Order: sequence, then structure tokens, then C-alpha cells
Amino acid sequence: MATISARGLAKSYSGKPAVRDLSFDVQPGSVTGFLGPNGSGKSTTMRLMLGLDRGAGSTVFDGRPFAELKDPMRHVGALLEAKPFHPTRKARNHLRMLAAANGISARRVDEVLATVGLHDVARSKPKGFSLGMGQRLGLAAALLGDPHTLILDEPANGLDPQGIQWMRVFLQGLAAEGRSVFVSSHLLSEMALMADHLVVIGKGSLIATGPIDEFVSSSRQNAVVVRTPEASELAPLLQAAGGTVTVLAPGSLSVAGLDIEAIGDLAHSHRLRLHELSPKVATLEEAFLERTAGSEEFQALAPAPSATVEGGPR
Amino acid sequence: MKRALAYEWTRIRTLRSTWWLTGLAIFLGIGISTLFAWAIHHDFTNGGVTSEDLDQLGPVVVTQLAASGEIPSVICFVLAILGIFAWGHEYRHGMIRASLTALNSRTQLWVAKFLVVGAWVAVVAAVTLIGSGVVASFFLRDYVDVFSGDTWQIIGRQVLYGVVLTWLAMAFTSITRSQAFALVSIFLWPFLIETLINVFFRLVPGLRDHTELLRFRPFDAGGRLVDAFNDPTGTFGDPLSAWGGLVVFGGTAVVGMVASYLLFTRRDA
Repeated sequence: MATISARGLAKSYSGKPAVRDLSFDVQPGSVTGFLGPNGSGKSTTMRLMLGLDRGAGSTVFDGRPFAELKDPMRHVGALLEAKPFHPTRKARNHLRMLAAANGISARRVDEVLATVGLHDVARSKPKGFSLGMGQRLGLAAALLGDPHTLILDEPANGLDPQGIQWMRVFLQGLAAEGRSVFVSSHLLSEMALMADHLVVIGKGSLIATGPIDEFVSSSRQNAVVVRTPEASELAPLLQAAGGTVTVLAPGSLSVAGLDIEAIGDLAHSHRLRLHELSPKVATLEEAFLERTAGSEEFQALAPAPSATVEGGPR
Repeated sequence: MKRALAYEWTRIRTLRSTWWLTGLAIFLGIGISTLFAWAIHHDFTNGGVTSEDLDQLGPVVVTQLAASGEIPSVICFVLAILGIFAWGHEYRHGMIRASLTALNSRTQLWVAKFLVVGAWVAVVAAVTLIGSGVVASFFLRDYVDVFSGDTWQIIGRQVLYGVVLTWLAMAFTSITRSQAFALVSIFLWPFLIETLINVFFRLVPGLRDHTELLRFRPFDAGGRLVDAFNDPTGTFGDPLSAWGGLVVFGGTAVVGMVASYLLFTRRDA
């Protein structure tokens, strides 16, 4: 089982940095999610890892760079494109071609087609495949060599909810067998269910890496909701105790920086009544948006007020 | 390297376009030779035949008139499209990244493509030319032995021309990474650009005194490689000899291939 170790990855396009001195590890036996806003350099990073793009830095798979792996598909399976195949070459032939490059048998081709649910269309031309079917064929190609490492760029794109759930369970199963699974996705809710670890980047630079629980728990969005008829008395006491207090509504406070027990004890010691004391746990999306704020490559404007639209030219 | 050759061999056999281009080359090649041989047979039967009529008739008829030195080889241009597709599909359909994650040696992939496509073109061209000769022999058996004299040598030269042309087309496609541009260019270059150069040399006063340089136009030089009527004064005389033509035309392909290799191994996939 292989540890992926990326060190100092960097790449510029026409002088504009796309990936900057990026270093991280991916451990075997886990699904590691690769997150970042659009244009943050996720796909470029994956291509750099596999030597497809020329740039600085190095990536090793159990100590060996991709270019030095004999029969690379037996070590690393990759899915980098949505539809990486010729539209009129039959699905099975597409896989047979890739298999031939790595000494993989035709029997294994049929196995992976069945695994991804494409057995019935194995002899069909993929020009009629939906995006989801294309992704499944790409995943079949990645699995051909039964590799210990998978690098998947947005594999859930185009999959229906059943397909997404299948993909999640499937990748978790592969990780449970001790494989390293490195997967990028913009579906944060899905990533929250699937990944054990995260690598988060913004504008090509590393923002965070580590267990997903640590990433979420470090968010300032984690707070305690306090409902009390004596909010005006309690709020200054909470602030004095080191909490950050936000008024959600009259009689309702959000308190960050203090745990539930401390807040309850403080209210009790000042004989203040509490009607609710509940934790508010940040979601991965909230933690991600907080940590990547300002890192978007493409920032959209808020919709203009309707009055402005009405007053505009017709 | 064996795995790279296996990959490319499977790639070329599992494409529909390979088979229809191969079929088209054989159909056109044998078809044109059949029509030509039949027409000559009809002419000889009705108008008689002179020894001048029979001069280099075998090479001309098996090469679909390319050995006349007047027109390029139809079948070689059809087969060169296989070379354009070999690289063009990689970029047009985003296959190149899948290819390079299956084969992590760019050098091996590059070499395998040129070898396998070159071998395929050589075999199909040889089969077509020999098949054309067999059919032509049926019509012209009373007048000439089609496979006598220079015919076998011209067949060999034509096969070589086809391979060099295909490699040149492959190099150009690999450099430009555009199938459409390469397809247009491989026809525009010999049929329009070299003709324009010819016109410039004959009309522009400063160039008019240097028309002897026209023999170094790559496709014109390539034509000398298969020209059965060529009467050269030396390897690089005017006109070029077959060897001279091979050096110029093949040299152009080699320059293109070197550029293709250097760019392929250095650029992002």
C-alpha cells in the first residue's frame, strides 16, 4: 500500500502561478478529499503529480515517481477527464487498449466493466454515453490494474444520486482495503460523507491538510445557541468570559469560544434563566467557505436589486 | 517498448477510421489502376501500340500514375490521414492523458506510434500496389509484363514515399496538436503552397533567375522519389535524383519528427 508524497509542486501559465509550492501527503487506507474553489489548481496539481504537466516539485508513490513505475496502471489508477475516450471505439476495446499497455488480461477488462455497471454496454460505442456513463468508463480504466492508489478528478460529475452513493461506498471500500484514494470534488456534502482526510487549496496554495473532523471543528462557525429571556444581562458576562457573542434574534444568542458547560455554569452562577442551550456544529461547507474566503479565482457579483434592473435600458 | 507497441497496435486496430481509410486506399488504388489498364487495353486494341507507349507502363499503372512524375500518389495521401488521426485523436478527444497514464514513457509512446502507423501504411501500400499490378496484368498481358523492369523498384520507392509522407503528417499533427489544421495543411502544402512558390519564382524578377531552387520544394522533391521517367544529372542536380528526392523529402520529415519529439517530451500533455 502506498503513501503519496507531494513536495513543492508548482506550475505557472504565462507567468501566472497556478500552483505554488504545494506539499501534502495522502495516507493509505483513507479517502483524501482534494478541495478548492474553481480555478484553484486542483486539476493542475493532479496532472503535475502524474508528470502530465511540466512544472516544479515532485510526487512519489511509495518513494517512486510515476515516470519510474513499471506498468503504471498496476500502481496508480487515474481519472482526469470527463470523457477520455474516442467516441467510436467500443468501451471494451478502449479498456483493452489501455490493458495492452500494462500487460493486463482481457478477463480483467470484463471484470471492471461489470464492477462499474457497464457490462451491458461493453460493446457499444461511447459516443452515446451520458456524462455519468463516461465517468464510469473512466473509473473502470482507473481500476484496470487493481492499483494501490487512485487519483480521481471530480469522479462524481454527471452521476445521478444513486451513482454518487455507489461511488462513495465503492471508494470507501477501496480505502478500507488499504488503498490510497485521492479524490477532488466540488460536492462538499458528498465529500463530508466520503472523505477521512482533506487537502484544501486556494489560488494554488495549501490552506489546510489533515483529518476532516479537525478541519470542521476548527471552524469559527462552531458555536452554542443560547435562548434566554435575559440576553441583555448574559451577553456581557459571556464576552467577559472570553466568548464571541452574536445576537441571532431578540432573546437568542450564538456564542463561539465557550463550550456548553461553561455557558450553563455561568448563567447558573448569575441566576439567569436559560430556555435553550444547544451546540451548533459547522458543516464542511461552512468551514470550507470560511477558510477559502478570498481565494476564489472567479468572484461573481451579487444580483443587482430589482429596482436597478427595472430602471435599466430596455 | 513491447507494451507501447502492443498499446499502439490495439489502438490502430480498434478504430473504425483505420479500416475505412485502409479500405478506401485499396479500393481507390486498385480501382484507378483497373480503369487505367482497361482504357489502355481499349486504346491499344483499337489504335495499335508502339514501344514508346510501353515505356515504364508497368510502374505507371501500378502507382495510379504517380510514377509519371506528374501527380502525387493518391493512396499515399489517403493513408497519411491514418498518421494524422494517430496524433489528432489524442488531442481532439482528450485521449493523451489517458495514454500517458497507461504508458508513462513519452519516448516509448512516440516511437510506438511512428513505428506501428508506419508499418501499417507500408503493408497497405504494398498490398495495394501489388494488387493493382495483378489486376493491370490481366488487361495488359498481351502487351507488357507489368511486373518487369523497374516496377518492383518503383513499388518499393512508392511504399517508402508513403511511409515518409505519413511520418511527416504525424510530425505536423503532433506539433500543431490540431487534427483539422493538419488535415488541411497536408493537402494545401503540396497542391497550393508549392504551386504558389513555383508561380512566385517564375513571376517575381528577383527570383526568376533562381528557378533551379524549385527542385528543393519538399513535395516536389518527394515526387522525384517515385518518378519513373526522371532523368537526373546527379544526386542533387536539376532534377533531383530519387536519392536526392529522398534526402530532401525525408530530411523535411526528419526535421519535423525531431521537432515533434522534442515538443512532445517537453510540453504539458
